[in-house]
Amino acid sequence: MVLRSPLYENQVKLGAKFTEFAGFEMPIQYSSIREEHFVVRKKVGLFDVSHMSNVWITGSDAAKLISLTTVEDASRVDDGESQYTAILRENGTIIDDTIFMHLGEKFMMIPNAGMNQIVTKWLNEQAKKHHLKAKAEDVSREYVILAIQGPKSKETLQKLTETDLDMVKFFGCQIVKVAGVECILSHTGYTGELGFELQITPTKKAAVVFDALLSSGAEFGIQPIGLGARDTLRLEKAFMLAGNEFEGGRTPLEATLGWTIFWDHEFIGKEALLKQKEQGTYQRMTCLECVEKGIPRHKCEIQKDGTAVGMVTSGTLSPCLNVGIAMGYVAPDKREVGSILDIMVRDKPVKAKVMKPPFVPKDWAQKHEEIAL
Amino acid sequence: MTHDVRDGLKYTKTHEWVKLAGAKAKIGITDHAQHELTDVVFVELPTVGKEVKKGDELCVVESVKSVSEVYAPVSGKVVAVNTKLDDSPEIINSSPYDDGWLVELEVKDKTEVNTLLDAAAYKKL
Repeated sequence: MVLRSPLYENQVKLGAKFTEFAGFEMPIQYSSIREEHFVVRKKVGLFDVSHMSNVWITGSDAAKLISLTTVEDASRVDDGESQYTAILRENGTIIDDTIFMHLGEKFMMIPNAGMNQIVTKWLNEQAKKHHLKAKAEDVSREYVILAIQGPKSKETLQKLTETDLDMVKFFGCQIVKVAGVECILSHTGYTGELGFELQITPTKKAAVVFDALLSSGAEFGIQPIGLGARDTLRLEKAFMLAGNEFEGGRTPLEATLGWTIFWDHEFIGKEALLKQKEQGTYQRMTCLECVEKGIPRHKCEIQKDGTAVGMVTSGTLSPCLNVGIAMGYVAPDKREVGSILDIMVRDKPVKAKVMKPPFVPKDWAQKHEEIAL
Repeated sequence: MTHDVRDGLKYTKTHEWVKLAGAKAKIGITDHAQHELTDVVFVELPTVGKEVKKGDELCVVESVKSVSEVYAPVSGKVVAVNTKLDDSPEIINSSPYDDGWLVELEVKDKTEVNTLLDAAAYKKL
């Protein structure tokens, strides 16, 4: 069965073109991927990301359960804060990357699309095994998730809420009212731009917020944005897409997510990571920018002097840079910044340079006012 | 089909068009195809002189999100390619039947062209 967002009818009315992603029929684009991409970089865009999952974690040991099952020590995350982290198997590979929000006595976790049952089951199994008084509850289908992203996102949202958004810290989260509807607000996003995300329940109230945001942002040129631009926006910032970047089992060390690991606590997968760190021979996530024409894609081989040294996990044409960009795993001694590797696109090498992430810096839009919409 | 279909051209079920003039045939993708692709950002053209058989991969047209093969609607030899597309692939979106042509073939067997769809038949797809 293909699932749809509760806002499906709204999407149809706005002229969305649909695609299937992780079991959901979601808008891939409304106008065009390029146009939507620049709308988010320069103005403001509204995403319906209800395909993402929602899991409540409750009980007196809720924080302990999160600490056990992720690379984060949840006791460090204060009430009103959220945190990006990864859930690992015993062998150190990533089950899913996620954000969890500390909301009073409870935590809400946002696993990726289609990961709700796997993550919920895993958390409950670990709670039982480790005798923790904590429970995970999958409420994914009870929530609509909206993301409002872009330099004008704060102004757009501020008109609809009495909460002073200047007082909401980056990665802060709290319950607010938007257009009269209670939402969980977080100062987070997946575009690298100023932005906020809203979790709305019951889902029948979401259309009010969706429409109010489109009206409020009209003066700034807001547009609804599909998954196509969501992918190009995140790739330009070298953000991970779980289904691509963790495919086949990758550890946070391989994914260069070492910065998310709080080593000073016990967690599932820690032993495997320590072993891998000591060996040090593992492939690492590497950013490549093409210096020749060609667009790298998922599963293109990466070569050095005709020998395979890695594989592309995500690739596209960067709308901002107008060159091919790729993320992929590369052998540790072949990924020095500035070195040139070959990405095999349809059996032909396309030269690409190893870059430091992100591909597109934070202030790109201000420096490129010549790209008009 | 809600998109532009030109009379006088021949079409394939895979959304290529063929315009025959003497022994030469210009080939491109239809308005419907460019709509489906959206935002063409890269075109890989064949080398002039290449011999292709009907159904062979002729070019690759990429949008931001997707990679699509264009198949040779008829057999022949590549005699010209639209080099304008190297720098401005978006012409395929703005002018799929005119400035956005892809390849010109010297057709081997003109009767092959007759087996293609006419505008009325393509519209019905």
